[in-house]
Amino acid sequence: MNYTEKTKLIQTRAAALLEAGEVSYVLGWGATRFADKTRARFARSPEEAATLVYNEHCTQSLAKYLVDDRWPETRIAILARGCESRAINRMIRDNQIRRENLLILGLPCEGTDAERCRSCRAHDPVVYDELLWEPNSTGAAAAAELSRYYRADAVDALSAAEKKAYWDDVYARCIRCYACRNACPVCSCRECFVDMHRTGFQGKRHSATDNQTFGVTRAFHVGDRCIECGECERACPMGLPILAQTQKILKEIEALAGDYEQGLDAAQDNYLGAFDLDDKDDFM
Amino acid sequence: MDNKTITITKDDLATAIRALLPAYNVYAPAGEGERLAFAALDESRLGAINLTGSPVIPPKELLFPRSESLYTLDPETGAATVPEIAESTLIFGVRPCDLRGIENLDAAFLEKGYVDSNYAKRRENTTIIALACVTSPYETCFCESMGGDPLAAKGADVLLTETKAGDAFTAAFQTPKGLQVKLLWDSLAMDCGSAPAMTEGSKPAMTEGSKPAMTGQHNTLRVTKPDDLPQRLMAAFDDPHWAVLSEACLGCGTCSYVCPTCYCFDIDRESGAKEITEYRCWDCCMFSDYSRMAGGHNPRPTKKERLRNRYLHKLAYFDERYGMTLCVGCGRCIAKCPASLDITEVIEWGGGAL
Ligand code: SF4
Ligand code: SF4
Ligand code: SF4
Ligand code: SF4
Repeated sequence: MNYTEKTKLIQTRAAALLEAGEVSYVLGWGATRFADKTRARFARSPEEAATLVYNEHCTQSLAKYLVDDRWPETRIAILARGCESRAINRMIRDNQIRRENLLILGLPCEGTDAERCRSCRAHDPVVYDELLWEPNSTGAAAAAELSRYYRADAVDALSAAEKKAYWDDVYARCIRCYACRNACPVCSCRECFVDMHRTGFQGKRHSATDNQTFGVTRAFHVGDRCIECGECERACPMGLPILAQTQKILKEIEALAGDYEQGLDAAQDNYLGAFDLDDKDDFM
Repeated sequence: MDNKTITITKDDLATAIRALLPAYNVYAPAGEGERLAFAALDESRLGAINLTGSPVIPPKELLFPRSESLYTLDPETGAATVPEIAESTLIFGVRPCDLRGIENLDAAFLEKGYVDSNYAKRRENTTIIALACVTSPYETCFCESMGGDPLAAKGADVLLTETKAGDAFTAAFQTPKGLQVKLLWDSLAMDCGSAPAMTEGSKPAMTEGSKPAMTGQHNTLRVTKPDDLPQRLMAAFDDPHWAVLSEACLGCGTCSYVCPTCYCFDIDRESGAKEITEYRCWDCCMFSDYSRMAGGHNPRPTKKERLRNRYLHKLAYFDERYGMTLCVGCGRCIAKCPASLDITEVIEWGGGAL
């Protein structure tokens, strides 16, 4: 099935749902004036449903927008590929959104223009109410061209001195726009530590040190919940290879704990966030 | 005019810039791809100069740094030190839209009664060599629709234009600061003796190919901007369409930080045991804490109010106060927005086209 046919299926289903008043809007993608750019589109009427598009330029994962509307009066329909569906599971687990508020229209995916898609292990949605077309014949974990931890592996191959130079260079180029944070579906604090200037957690000054404080803290805060969608890196206007950070954390967790992949279901614990009320905390 | 132009072949570009190094702190676009940025040049970096694109971070950062220390205090003695501002800086390769961006900053920092002393000093100490856009560096460039001319940069000290043959630049010296540059380049031509690096424009040897390109492949993106756009947008302040325009926005700092005209800053302090630094740094109206008051009230509580503010500042408020639009059509915010928002849609919607 080609993209034109898939777009048609999406438009038809979205229009029917909106017509029947079953959902308040359908969250998908729309066209822009640039052929290679699409933008999140919130279709609220059958007419708007006809403007939804689906193609290889739908590089943005839509899940983050769900936190803008945590308490919808009527369900939200969201188009969900592998990455959106895993984000939804993790966001449900983090109590950010509720499953019953969503109608998930599953889109088995064949990858987009984004580099990260070439390492994707979950092309097919892992949670959905209906699939709009047949799942990939290769199954959810379609043979990926890049290894799961492709960015982290590349950094791991460097010597200690080279690693330092690598990260010094990344943090020197970061402009602290926080696009990485804002695009990330599992970044969901009501108030981010970087916005609490008076606390002194994070200086507002742009310096390699302050940039690094932000970058490392962000990575640790989402690392064990990262669903590997690559939105952080896609969003970065400076083209920084920041996916290496969370990939590294996942890689280390996997080395310690065995198989570890987030967002596969909505009940999964996260490794660094797990705790036991009987913990004695002797060290405190 | 003729005695004020010379031609520099591309092969001699490094020589020409080398001649400036003793007199100025020279910055020019250097590096490839995502690393393309205005960088401080020295002998070892001359080879990295890259004039084919336009850096994501505009040259405004050299006049209005991302962060600068305003003063430092010694906590023991209370003695204050005010950092020096570099003398004689030269920015090479400023695109015409970015120069207009600097003219916007001039208005904000130098006009209407308050002069920002750090900006004023840097501006005074800086010579600007502009580079005409014979081809538009981004597919999102729309400077012509915003009243810009990709081949002119009136306020620049020197304007370089690639020749029709594409193997050289003609340099036009437009101000006294520009003539200082010409003096350095003239002496270079003399040093070169029988193999002059420079040809005086006044010499009759100008062939067709060595003439500056007066036409080029200009913006493919054309936007209709009505003259009364500020009034139209202000009249639409309460229009529900702002909510639609902003729904895809992620509320990051990208559009402001890549913009050649955004000039908001914050002032804060870093207190160390040995030194206390009062600094200022770029700020961005798209951040949630930007308009948050003491006590926690936020008059711009959601991205709708924030995005409306950003666009109205660009397209209405600044016009009202300074008589110029705060968007020069460089296209960077469109190219880099992680959610693919597009300011030209706001311009057209405000103009009644949508
Ligand atoms: S998106 Fe990139 S430039 Fe912006 S804060 Fe994150 S790492 Fe830094
Ligand atoms: S850290 Fe990056 S890859 Fe991981 S969930 Fe967040 S945006 Fe996706
Ligand atoms: S318009 Fe784009 S670049 Fe600007 S704040 Fe919104 S998401 Fe970020
Ligand atoms: S608003 Fe966008 S297009 Fe306009 S000057 Fe700023 S970055 Fe350039």
